[in-house]
Amino acid sequence: MLVANRGEIAVRIIRACHELGIESVAVYSDADRHARHVRAADVAVRIGPAPAGESYLSAEAIIAAAQATGAEAIHPGYGFLAERATFAAAVESAGLVFVGPDSTAIAAMGDKLAARRLARSVDVPVVPGTLEPAPASDPAGVAAITAAAESLGFPLMVKAAAGGGGRGMRRVPAADELRGALVAASEEALAAFGDGAVYLEREIRPARHIEVQLLGEAGGRVIAIGERDCSIQRRHQKLVEESPAPGLTTRQRLDVHAMAVRIATAAGLTNAATAEFLLDEAGAFWFLEVNSRLQVEHGITELVTGLDLVHEQLWLASGARLSAAALAAAERAGQPVGHAIEVRISLEDPARSFLPLSGRVGRFSLAAGPGIRVDAGIEAGDRVPAEYDSLVAKLMVHAADRPTAIDRLRRALDESEIGGVQTTLPFHWFVAASPDFRAGRLSTDFVDEHWDGPAARATAVSRALLAVGLAARSENPSRGAEGPSRSTDAAAESPWLAAARAEGVDRWPG
Amino acid sequence: MAGMREGPAVRARSIDAAGRPEAELVVGGGASDEQISWRDPEHAILGPEAASGAANRLSRLVVGIVRRRMSDGLMVREVLIDGWRVEVELEAEDRAALRDRARRGAPAGSTGGPLAIRAELPGRIVRLLVAGGDQVDAGQQLLVIEAMKMLNELRAPRAGRVGRVAVAAGDGVDLGDLLVLLE
Repeated sequence: MLVANRGEIAVRIIRACHELGIESVAVYSDADRHARHVRAADVAVRIGPAPAGESYLSAEAIIAAAQATGAEAIHPGYGFLAERATFAAAVESAGLVFVGPDSTAIAAMGDKLAARRLARSVDVPVVPGTLEPAPASDPAGVAAITAAAESLGFPLMVKAAAGGGGRGMRRVPAADELRGALVAASEEALAAFGDGAVYLEREIRPARHIEVQLLGEAGGRVIAIGERDCSIQRRHQKLVEESPAPGLTTRQRLDVHAMAVRIATAAGLTNAATAEFLLDEAGAFWFLEVNSRLQVEHGITELVTGLDLVHEQLWLASGARLSAAALAAAERAGQPVGHAIEVRISLEDPARSFLPLSGRVGRFSLAAGPGIRVDAGIEAGDRVPAEYDSLVAKLMVHAADRPTAIDRLRRALDESEIGGVQTTLPFHWFVAASPDFRAGRLSTDFVDEHWDGPAARATAVSRALLAVGLAARSENPSRGAEGPSRSTDAAAESPWLAAARAEGVDRWPG
Repeated sequence: MAGMREGPAVRARSIDAAGRPEAELVVGGGASDEQISWRDPEHAILGPEAASGAANRLSRLVVGIVRRRMSDGLMVREVLIDGWRVEVELEAEDRAALRDRARRGAPAGSTGGPLAIRAELPGRIVRLLVAGGDQVDAGQQLLVIEAMKMLNELRAPRAGRVGRVAVAAGDGVDLGDLLVLLE
């Protein structure tokens, strides 16, 4: 099996291969020569230079790598080529197995407009908006779309038909910004997906983001095995996810699962996919889109259901029926037992609008112990390139109920230390301690409403300065802050370290 | 925790994720009741909090070992606190004061002199909108950087003449890389 991805998801898929006795092939760009997924795989093939367009997005290079190594199947992970129907078709026509829905279903779901029309055809409520592409440049078309926008009302969202991961998406607060948003979203979508088609959607706000995990076998049988709440987002990208979604009635849970199954069945989806919905304040679900791939946050569903979704994907891709375990999980999905939470650890500065960062990670020590799962794509000392997504690890906790899971998350964060580059960890500390989060008051506005990054950092910085300043003074008052070591025996280490080592022995009580 | 010695004042200054000075604190003068205990040279945990559980703890703090920064010889320490990474420069207060005085004595060059515009985020140059020799207004778009999925427009902080464009479309840039020199 060739894994056409990088980072934590490539490592996660390689692990599943090895559990099933399948040999794994990694692919890598020049920026990833020493990356963890390369070290984890049995075989690794270079597929091009650092820019994703010339490596991880190069279908030809990846299929050639599969053929050269004798791989029989390709798992695309998420992102990159995972939802490109042309890639799935190319894999199929090369005589290889594509681990995911077949190319026609990906094409049907990859076009968000087609997905909206399909959902409507099976009586699933879709977010009000347009069902045909909105022209970004043609003046006559712009007049028509402006009229459509006026009837929907502002604020509204411009979204890319081929979109995903928050790209090609713009919020339009008022009519005079529509034109610019159409052009900007279209340009971003064209650059990211090779398709500049955009459409309009009414903004549903406040809202929660709820998604349903689906599995489907050849022949049309689709099951829902549970849902996730992924409301806590920044830039329309998820930061914290949990399963099951808190506060839903069994009726609501079963309703949204059934809607997701109807859409997926109509689309002929097989393998693994996710249907995304917004839940409004009145308790109504609105269909957003289907992701025809494994999600970043699939692990929390695995923790709650006990399934291994990559194993399931591989069995389904080999032509097997849905497993007995998966069918049993679907039976229980209305009344799930246990609770799991995931936080995404990315190299970003939570004090500056979650600005992406890159660089060399120093200390990298994540939590362990009861109820903890860590899926990481890096190790201590790894350089994280700027070219790709800033996600480096997912920290997941599992417990018997939600309050216990939150307590466990706090403990897990308390144990986790990452140095060298700033990460999203401070935000997760905040969420884990937040009374609103504990009360289940979730909304896609959570970050804007509750998170004051600069203030949180200022508090931490003042404590850090105090601690380090006091330590420096006490450690080596006579020479510590002055200059190079004058001692003869410590050429390789700083005088403070030497002093601290000596004093550490003296001062440790008992 | 008795026996803390007194010493000369120390200035601790933190550096933000973009490498800019952020906040500083001078510690010194007189006796104090610092509640810092050393467990080993690499880990310091704030005393009163170390004993309580995660749920009640005020802060968790891990102090890295002191390193001497190659570029300027300053002592630097990395602190991890509640998920934050804080880089702290340490200097004896008297030396830090001397350094500040020297800096203030230099000609104030912020208005007339050349201005180096550097990358504040790592990414890739998508588009250049100016070339060497161009006259630009304050707020005029200079270039577009794609950083992880988002297109970011970089604008001129003030009016001036573009002395040099140090990057080309398609180039990858790292935090702090020179992009445009404004004269």
